[in-house]
Amino acid sequence: MRAVWCVDCDWDTKNVLTGSADNSCRLWDCETGKQLALLNTNSAVRTCGFDFSGNIIMFSTDKQMGYQCYLNFFDLRDPQQIEDNQPYLSIPCNDAKITSAVWGPLGEFVNAGHENGEINQFSAKSGEILKKAKEHSRQINDIQTSVDLTMFISASKDNTAKLFDSTSLEHIKTFKTERPVNSAAISPIMDHVVMGGGQEAMEVTTTSTRIGKFEARFFHAAYEEEFGRVKGHFGPINCVAFHPDGKSYSSGGEDGYVRIHYFDPQYFDFELEA
Amino acid sequence: NWSRQMTILQESRSAPGFCLLKGSFSFHLMLPLYFLVCLFFVCVFVFAELLLDILREKPQEADGIDSVVVVDNVPQVGPERLEKLKNVIHKIFSKFGKITTEFYPEADGMTKGYIFLEYAAPTQALEAVKNADGYKLDKQHTFRVNLFTDFDKYMTISDEWETPEKQPFKDFGNMRHWIEDPDCRDQYSVIYEAGERTAIFSNDAKEPITAEERARWTETYVRWSPKGTYLATFHQRGIALWGGEKFKQIQRFSHQGVSLIDFSPCERYVVTFSPLMDTKEDPQAIIIWDILTGQKKRGFHCESSAHWPIFKWSHDGKFFARMTQDTLSIYETPSMGLLDKKSLKISGIKDFSWSPGDNIIAFWVPEDKDIPARVTLMQLPSRQEIRVRNLFNVVDCKLHWQRNGDYLCVKVDRTPKGTQGVVTNFEIFRMREKQVPVDVVEMKDSIIAFAWEPNGSKFAVLHGESPRINASFYHVKNNGKIELIKMFDKQQANSIFWSPQGQFMVLAGLRSMNGALAFVDTSDCTMMNIAEHYMASDVEWDPTGRYVVTSVSWWSHKVDNAYWLWTFQGRLLQKNNKDRFCQLLWRPRPPTLLSTDQIKMIKKDLKKYSKIFEQKDRLSQSKASKELVDKRRAMMEEYRRYRETAQQIYQEQKSIRLELRGGVDTDELDSNVDDWEEETIESVVPYAGNIDDSFMKPLFTFYSSCSSNISRNFYLICWHFAEW
Repeated sequence: MRAVWCVDCDWDTKNVLTGSADNSCRLWDCETGKQLALLNTNSAVRTCGFDFSGNIIMFSTDKQMGYQCYLNFFDLRDPQQIEDNQPYLSIPCNDAKITSAVWGPLGEFVNAGHENGEINQFSAKSGEILKKAKEHSRQINDIQTSVDLTMFISASKDNTAKLFDSTSLEHIKTFKTERPVNSAAISPIMDHVVMGGGQEAMEVTTTSTRIGKFEARFFHAAYEEEFGRVKGHFGPINCVAFHPDGKSYSSGGEDGYVRIHYFDPQYFDFELEA
Repeated sequence: NWSRQMTILQESRSAPGFCLLKGSFSFHLMLPLYFLVCLFFVCVFVFAELLLDILREKPQEADGIDSVVVVDNVPQVGPERLEKLKNVIHKIFSKFGKITTEFYPEADGMTKGYIFLEYAAPTQALEAVKNADGYKLDKQHTFRVNLFTDFDKYMTISDEWETPEKQPFKDFGNMRHWIEDPDCRDQYSVIYEAGERTAIFSNDAKEPITAEERARWTETYVRWSPKGTYLATFHQRGIALWGGEKFKQIQRFSHQGVSLIDFSPCERYVVTFSPLMDTKEDPQAIIIWDILTGQKKRGFHCESSAHWPIFKWSHDGKFFARMTQDTLSIYETPSMGLLDKKSLKISGIKDFSWSPGDNIIAFWVPEDKDIPARVTLMQLPSRQEIRVRNLFNVVDCKLHWQRNGDYLCVKVDRTPKGTQGVVTNFEIFRMREKQVPVDVVEMKDSIIAFAWEPNGSKFAVLHGESPRINASFYHVKNNGKIELIKMFDKQQANSIFWSPQGQFMVLAGLRSMNGALAFVDTSDCTMMNIAEHYMASDVEWDPTGRYVVTSVSWWSHKVDNAYWLWTFQGRLLQKNNKDRFCQLLWRPRPPTLLSTDQIKMIKKDLKKYSKIFEQKDRLSQSKASKELVDKRRAMMEEYRRYRETAQQIYQEQKSIRLELRGGVDTDELDSNVDDWEEETIESVVPYAGNIDDSFMKPLFTFYSSCSSNISRNFYLICWHFAEW
């Protein structure tokens, strides 16, 4: 009924999971589009995802109207859980709500980013916090994993994106910009990361109002140096992603456009002097 | 109040329960009542004010001796001239108040040479002392006027003289330390974090080097002294001066609520202004301080600080002057007294300014009945008028001195007889030529900006109306002609910034013109580079003329606060983002110690020096790249090591992955290439008639260009609605 905040599909694209502001999380058959399950919640569903096996789903709900933020886990192999709308594990988050979350490499834990910049690693079996990382100073807008799930990159409102190890939550790299970062992604084949951001319309009176001035920025993952920008969006970029083959990337923006860019051969040959 | 009353009544008509206010009957009753109440309060207020006034004027019950003055050096006369003397004294001294008693002591039939006068109030006595002391009656008699109470004060000074305590010598180190930087880096101050942090950097082409950084160093902003020796910071209680290698506090001046300051060009004095401090008896709005001793030299009244600095200094710091209604007051240092003990009466004086090279003041007065407007050049201290220029049909004048005082340009806005419009002339005074000849340049357009080349004979003018703004360059030649060298049209510029060394300049379109920049070499009037610093609010040249800084101040624009460093040719060197960057000021340099001959010699041997510098630059450049390359290599190694460990663990976990996915290997994109099936489907998709590009793009352009949240949100709502 309302905005869809998150979407994920399982590893062989059989099912699709969506979470929405209409306080529900739904499971769909990808090929036919038939709704397989409806899980009602008390508040908007902010982030969702299938684990590595595709058998367990997790989603987080917002802190709204008196309801806390929860991280819920359902095992799809147990139809009773779906029928009763009873997650086998429901973790409450007392302070800062979860804004983005991704599964670990083997489905044992979930790395969640919070409104206050914290990243917590929740066990998918017991619900306890296995590890913590407090590197960002402001809200985490997006977390995306590398293709092998060994690392993830967090995009934050504090104008930086940071690279972490998925298991140890060790902070590896930081990429600095002058604008809040809304989304970041790791290239599957090169040592590159792409970031997109911009100032929220509500937060500033004027930014560069030139058409096409909102840019996706490319950083070298090891050197933490920016080496390229792609213009084109005329509004802040909300989401970026690499194609699984690493030969193109796409970005979605506030302007209502999704842009798909294919890299020139020079992109793959490019090297910073070292 | 009227409308508020009306709306309350109108609202109450629809609300139940407000029967009291309903109906026209009550309304007619309420109105005169309300009016009477207001009238009552107004009366009380006025009465109170009057009462306070009376109380203030109430004569103080003192001993009465506070209103007595003693006048010395009065001519000694016999009884036949006494009446005349008394009349003269009365005429002079009754200006300051009502004389209630006078006493002329006599001895041997002659007046003794001093008299006593009593006024109605002590304030009048003070006035007499202030104004009549030093009054020259004739060649032999100059009055000395003192308060009677002062005699008492000075008599009771103890005979024992205590030697004043010797102040320990405060060694602030080498106050010119920054000049000795072997790489000749200039310093600049930066205020950022909305004023929370102030830092001093040394300017290096690669990146700024921090010299000093302090939190809450100043409460509002900072100022450098004219020769760069001191940094002045502002605080609620006054200002502080800092200097030396470590920026120690040199001096403090207590002036509550200080808001503006000005230094004398010689750095001996500093003038502070505070709107809070003024009282009738003790003028405190403007105070002049001696920097080295920290003493307050003199205080002045000040009605408004609209045209700061109120006191304008002569170039050598010998004089300072201010203009009040019909008066030009010139003071001399170090006495801080009026030159020749009186101000100049110049009826209608509108503006004045000192020559930056000589002790000459230029001022202008507007038309007065038959007398045309005129600009006058007056030599000081002789007060000789060395040049007067009559001007006709003048609307306004502005004085622009060339930095060495070689030329004065008076921009005259006139309405020629028989026309409605305003035209502008530039009257160029050639100060170095005999009799100061004046040449006129007529301008057809309205003038946006004017600037002299600092140490040359060219000037630049921005004229016209947006978008047709032109930049014209003129050369004041020796043969009496003023030549238009070049005119660039359709410029995006509203300000002119000359390099302090001349020849080069930047035309900038600041603020509303979005930071358009043009770098010009005026030796042949070519555009060296055209660039842009979006939303730039300030342009600052370094004192050597090698670098230019353009900046976006948080005070004028809340995003993208940064300062960019350019070469004088317009090549961008650095972009320095600073959180809530507010202000950058270059530290001025003291005048060179080299003689003109020495400078000539150096210019001759420039090739020799160039070689040495180039070598040095090459070394530092390669050092920089080497550093960067080494850094990158180290980072890559570290990253590789981490990835290797991660890959190892990944391989070890392969079996678990296979298990989780029911034996299907998904580690590589092409892991299951045999499973792939390729199918080509062709279908025709009907045109859905969606909102397309031609609608969305302009709408979004609107959205992006909205300058307020409200407009933006409005368009966002429209957009979503249209979409829906």
